[in-house]
Amino acid sequence: MTFYVIRRVLIGILLLLFMSVAFFALTRLTPGPPFTTGENPRAHQELIDRRLHNLGLDQPWYTQYPAYLNALVHGNLGDSYVYNQPVSKLLMERVPNSVLLLGVSLIISLLIAIPLGIFAATRQYSKLDTTTSVASYIGISIPSFVLGIFLLLAGAVWLRHATGGVFYFPLFGMHKSDTTSLDDLAWHMVLPVVSLSILSIAGFSRFMRASMLEVLHQDYVRTAKAKGLPARAVNYKHALRNAILPIVTLVALQTPQFVSGAIITEGIFSWPGMGLLAFQATVTRDYPVILGVVMLVAALTVLFNLFADIAYAVVDPRIRY
Amino acid sequence: MRLSTQGFDTSGPPQPGRPHPPGRDGPLGGRLMADQPLEKGRPPSTSAYTSLLAGAQVASALEAEASLRGQAASEDLVVAEVADPSEIGFWRLAVIRFLHHRAATASLVVLLFIVVTSVIIPVFQGDLYRLQDYTHPYTQPFQFHTRAVALPAGLSVTIPWTDHLFGTDDLGRDELARLLRGGRVSLTVGLLAMLGYIIIGGILGALAGYYGGWIDNALMRLTDVIIAMPFILVVVAVTAAFGGVSLTVLVLVIALLGWFEIGRLMRAQFLVLRESEFVQAARALGASDYRIIFRHIVPNSLAPIIVSATLGVSGIILLEAALGFLGYSIPPPEPSWGNLLGSYEEAIALGQTYIVALPALALVTTALCINLVGDGIRDALDPRQR
Repeated sequence: MTFYVIRRVLIGILLLLFMSVAFFALTRLTPGPPFTTGENPRAHQELIDRRLHNLGLDQPWYTQYPAYLNALVHGNLGDSYVYNQPVSKLLMERVPNSVLLLGVSLIISLLIAIPLGIFAATRQYSKLDTTTSVASYIGISIPSFVLGIFLLLAGAVWLRHATGGVFYFPLFGMHKSDTTSLDDLAWHMVLPVVSLSILSIAGFSRFMRASMLEVLHQDYVRTAKAKGLPARAVNYKHALRNAILPIVTLVALQTPQFVSGAIITEGIFSWPGMGLLAFQATVTRDYPVILGVVMLVAALTVLFNLFADIAYAVVDPRIRY
Repeated sequence: MRLSTQGFDTSGPPQPGRPHPPGRDGPLGGRLMADQPLEKGRPPSTSAYTSLLAGAQVASALEAEASLRGQAASEDLVVAEVADPSEIGFWRLAVIRFLHHRAATASLVVLLFIVVTSVIIPVFQGDLYRLQDYTHPYTQPFQFHTRAVALPAGLSVTIPWTDHLFGTDDLGRDELARLLRGGRVSLTVGLLAMLGYIIIGGILGALAGYYGGWIDNALMRLTDVIIAMPFILVVVAVTAAFGGVSLTVLVLVIALLGWFEIGRLMRAQFLVLRESEFVQAARALGASDYRIIFRHIVPNSLAPIIVSATLGVSGIILLEAALGFLGYSIPPPEPSWGNLLGSYEEAIALGQTYIVALPALALVTTALCINLVGDGIRDALDPRQR
């Protein structure tokens, strides 16, 4: 076990190293240096050149890389070209916003999807099951931006027209410009959370249904039924415990994605999260920010996968490493 | 263990519910009738399914015999006949099962309609998709006017007519033509990138699953990380490194970055099948690796790959649309369903909802149909996975 963990940590470090090289090279090999997109078109070329030189960006990437790696090892992700702030500070600001948005949406969607999946599975081929299946098929077929656009249209435009401008959901951002109150925040979260939740409810409920159905057809469930246990006890005590495990795994392994945010939903609703930060960084060639996001997500993924595997070994004594 | 939200369990321990190897010599037909996995909660022998099988049987070589015995006897007959697997092949049985799935069959028809129209009609429309008419921006869809059509012999009739069935966009371009041509781009990217997934993921997944060792380790760890990355971001960054987006670059980048799911699935299949009895038997008989892989494992691993690939196409189409939406797919004036949606802010601000609604509808319909067809294929190939 100890040996296994050490080996996995070493593999993880190698992997992070590989990711850092790959993305460092990728950003540097992208044609067109930073400061040429979205910047002042009248900026002097000498100024741009001087800035590129000061940042070492006029060197080939493999000459730049050791310095980056050295800083990275010391926990320094560099400064953003656009914000003129340390990347770590930017990440610290943005991560909580994304975690808040995605976390609330995850909790809501699990609270709806798990009971829905269980009911659909225990009443297979019933009206409820068919309706859920159809709805979830439609749900997984709608891309997030289509849903986002229509929620924006319905929640902000149509609702505003229908109620004569009295009642509507705010469109953009996390707060009104002059407040940081909680109810204002909640108000701003409604549309993006609904947009994210509908999609994950569709996915999770399908998954839960499939997982529950698989367990319900296993021998031990039949045994439990045969010995006369009431359906409730069979479904919720015996079957559910095993059926819910895959969903727990799924959620646990998705946790790093919290940090990477939801690019499109955050973009549509101007939610100041990691997705938006990362996307804008890609558009403006803000290399340190791109690399910062990538490395953070990669590190968390390596860590969570390791945790998941160790947790398996602890929970299930049949698994040995 | 990692589980995908749709489709198959992509890795982890051997699934207890794996079907019998679906080779031509596998007794799948017999098992199917014995276990009735398709008919949970329904009475077995009187179902439409059985009579459908009966129909297929009648249509096959047994026509004369079945008609001699008459309708009533045929149902009993079917069970006996299908129980003999040599009577009806695996793929044929799959087609019958697929056709039994009404939603999937209907979806396939709709999908074929979408594919055929968006492949054929743009050929005859030439440059219509980019002809601008500044005098008629935002013509509303479904606006008909009457038009006199001269018939021979001096007669004439007035018929309802429209120049732009789906209206025009902000530059007065024909929305229908753009929608159809956009569909061609979306579908092309979806199919070609999936081909790439299957080639890359199939080969690497098979190597990892069959030989294991460091290939397997490296591949799986890399997969974990790539899957956790915000995929759109990575695609945007890589296409930028290619220096600009074209159809080829887009397909290449998506294929190079997206094959991991298929690869993992292939690996899981190989891991399970490598240890299965029929492969061990083949190995004991002295079969070479090549023969074991291509004659025994690959045919048996196809079913989940086909299902995952079908579902994956809708994923790629949605991904392409998302990229287009963000402005990182095929550049204008070439339309794609994604970049048609990309001008949503202006359209909403001007109250021209149809500009958003039409491509959204096309996109969602296509994705839904592909998903339902994929589900139908899954039921058809792998009835125990339901």
